[in-house]
Amino acid sequence: MAGPLIAGRYRGSVRPFSAAGRNTQLSVTVTAGRPEPASPAGAATPRRRPGFRSEQRRNLTGWVFLIPAALLIAWMNFWPMIQAFFLSLQTGRGTRLTWAEPLWYNYARLFSDEIFLLTLQNTFVYLIIQVPIMLVLALILANLLNDRNLRFRGLWRTAIFLPCAVGLVSYSLVFRTMFANDGLINDILMGLHLIDSPVNWLGQTGTARFVIILGLLWRWTGYNMVFYLAALQNIDNATIEAARIDGAGPFKTFWYVTVPQLKPMILLTAIMSTNGTIQLFDESWNLTQGGPAYTSMTMSHYLYELSFQKNPNFGYAAALSYAILLIVAILAAIQMKVGDKRD
Amino acid sequence: MNNARKLASLAVVLPLALGLAACGGGATPTAEPGGSATAGPVEAGTLTAWAWDPTFNIYALEEAAKIYEKDHPGFKIEVAETPWDDLQTKLTTLAQSRQTDELPDIFLVQNNAFQKNVINYPDLFSDYPASGVDFSEFPQAVVDYSVVDGVNYGLPFDNGTAINALRTDVLKEAGYTVADFTDITWSDFIAKGSDVLAKTGKPLLSGQAGSSDLIMMMLQSAGASLFDAEGKPTITGNEPLLKAIDTYKQLVESGVMVEVNSWDEYIGTFVNGAVAGTINGVWILGSVQTAKDQSGLWEITNLPKLDGVSGATNFSANGGSSWAISSSANVELAADFLNSTFAGSTEFFDTILPSSGAIATWIPAGASSVYSEPQEFFGGQPVFAKVLEFAAQVPSNNTGAYYYEGRDAVSAAITKILNGTDPATALDEAQKNVEFAMQ
Repeated sequence: MAGPLIAGRYRGSVRPFSAAGRNTQLSVTVTAGRPEPASPAGAATPRRRPGFRSEQRRNLTGWVFLIPAALLIAWMNFWPMIQAFFLSLQTGRGTRLTWAEPLWYNYARLFSDEIFLLTLQNTFVYLIIQVPIMLVLALILANLLNDRNLRFRGLWRTAIFLPCAVGLVSYSLVFRTMFANDGLINDILMGLHLIDSPVNWLGQTGTARFVIILGLLWRWTGYNMVFYLAALQNIDNATIEAARIDGAGPFKTFWYVTVPQLKPMILLTAIMSTNGTIQLFDESWNLTQGGPAYTSMTMSHYLYELSFQKNPNFGYAAALSYAILLIVAILAAIQMKVGDKRD
Repeated sequence: MNNARKLASLAVVLPLALGLAACGGGATPTAEPGGSATAGPVEAGTLTAWAWDPTFNIYALEEAAKIYEKDHPGFKIEVAETPWDDLQTKLTTLAQSRQTDELPDIFLVQNNAFQKNVINYPDLFSDYPASGVDFSEFPQAVVDYSVVDGVNYGLPFDNGTAINALRTDVLKEAGYTVADFTDITWSDFIAKGSDVLAKTGKPLLSGQAGSSDLIMMMLQSAGASLFDAEGKPTITGNEPLLKAIDTYKQLVESGVMVEVNSWDEYIGTFVNGAVAGTINGVWILGSVQTAKDQSGLWEITNLPKLDGVSGATNFSANGGSSWAISSSANVELAADFLNSTFAGSTEFFDTILPSSGAIATWIPAGASSVYSEPQEFFGGQPVFAKVLEFAAQVPSNNTGAYYYEGRDAVSAAITKILNGTDPATALDEAQKNVEFAMQ
């Protein structure tokens, strides 16, 4: 029967401890609030006890492994977050901070800050246009590359993933050079006689946003594709073959068989991309410097400007960072609700 | 000891150790035990400094140290190259976390950012000792940048005097000389510039779109500013500003000025010879001179002045920087060092001028013969003497603590105006944004 067998196994594993390990057993029982001293393993011991101890010891081991990371995260992440929250309730410039009156003053201020509202709008333009295009592209590419009969698969895969290995600043600078008035893109378009005079890509709101979105697509599509490729390896080929045998075309197979099985991964990438886009900084900073007239600036860029470039208003900047946190949290919650149909 | 306990103790000690390492990472190299306030406790005669340009201000510091060392054996200076943007970020971070002992003894501050930093973070700065630097030996307009409540916090270093640099060969092709562009107004400049453009195909100016540097220079040339004496923004109903923006608009629309999107593109326009002139602080000559093939083809003159604005002149400034002494510095040594070099040694300025083009703001240095030497690159023109002559005539302007807010709001307004928004409306909006930022 299972019961005695398990007890036996446990006892077997406990025994090597028994000589040197008595202290352990003692301390474990004491922390558990069981006053009775541990008796040497024997027939008198109720059957459940060794099992329980073992489970407890395993729990303890788990905690021991968790604690270093947990303490570090609490200390390096959560504590500053709490401090930032208190900071967001204060107002003033530089180090001359006082408690705001009312306490939520900085949060109320956000709603009347035209530049903040503009950066919020910009960020959502990037989010709404770029993330879906990127995820769909990544999904399509992943499917194409997953084809067993494709030649040079490794090469394609590397080529598409490679942009990810490029630093955010360096690729932004390259894009800025390419889209300069006398840059490569204008030269090519003029060489092909598609345009008569250079397009001022980064100097107009629409085209500046377009260039940022293009940059983001180039940089991040491969990254998401790798997630899908990994998930595709886990899909049982039999399900796809079964669909084929049942007469489903490639699109139907993809849509009704592959995509549903990729759902958890799609959810993960959607949340990660949303999170990343809302905190977008490097592209706005390096590619367009937020221009023209703030119309391509992201929220994080504005936050940096408030803290380090203008008169340092750290209270307000902290409130802004909490607004970003809130937006990320709400969007992630919605995506989980919509996307995750487990249970 | 058993494994679990070992692990448990490790779990407690490890984060602490890592934490100590994290905290200590920055602190250990500079802060020696004893906690003395000076940053360079190793040797009595060592100063630490932050500056950003190895061929310009860092070079000047090192030359100054050599001269100072002659009378003070054992004196040394350790310069950490820190670009201005990083320097500002470092200052803010150190002030905000109250780690002022991490500051160097002296650091260079952009003149336009001086007020902002002193007002927001007074605990970063030491004022200059009362006996010592004679600030009357500097142009008032330059000293004013670093005076807060009557106290001097900065010793002016480089000269941000604005110049109008022009390609003589292009002008000649169109039948003009630099004299035709001297002591003129902006409407003359646009008329002649259009002519040059028509005859040679070359614009006379270029600039970064969304940058208001040129507008700010025009404003200062008329002694105007974006703020009044109390520091309140005066962007709406600011006559010189409206005039400056109107001029800028005409420049762009006539094609006499081309807008580009980044600094490198801007430098590229005249280095590549696509544009036949530029207006900026005199420090731009460093970039102009990188075009070796254009040697002998450049000359400088003063700026055009605004039409119909009272108090308008042909002189202005853009940029420039001053030396600050930090609150954790060896103040006496730092002040004495700066006073006996940057504010007291003609020998020093004679050394740095020919090799780096660092033009003194210290007026007595201008008497030196080095300044009146003709410069080959500028067709034999004694450029440096000219700049000193301009510098003395630059009107003072009031930057205030919110200079960058004002400047950026006006930049945004210009972009909108060029896209067709009515100037008054766009400036009202800018005024509102600055007032909002000041709340």
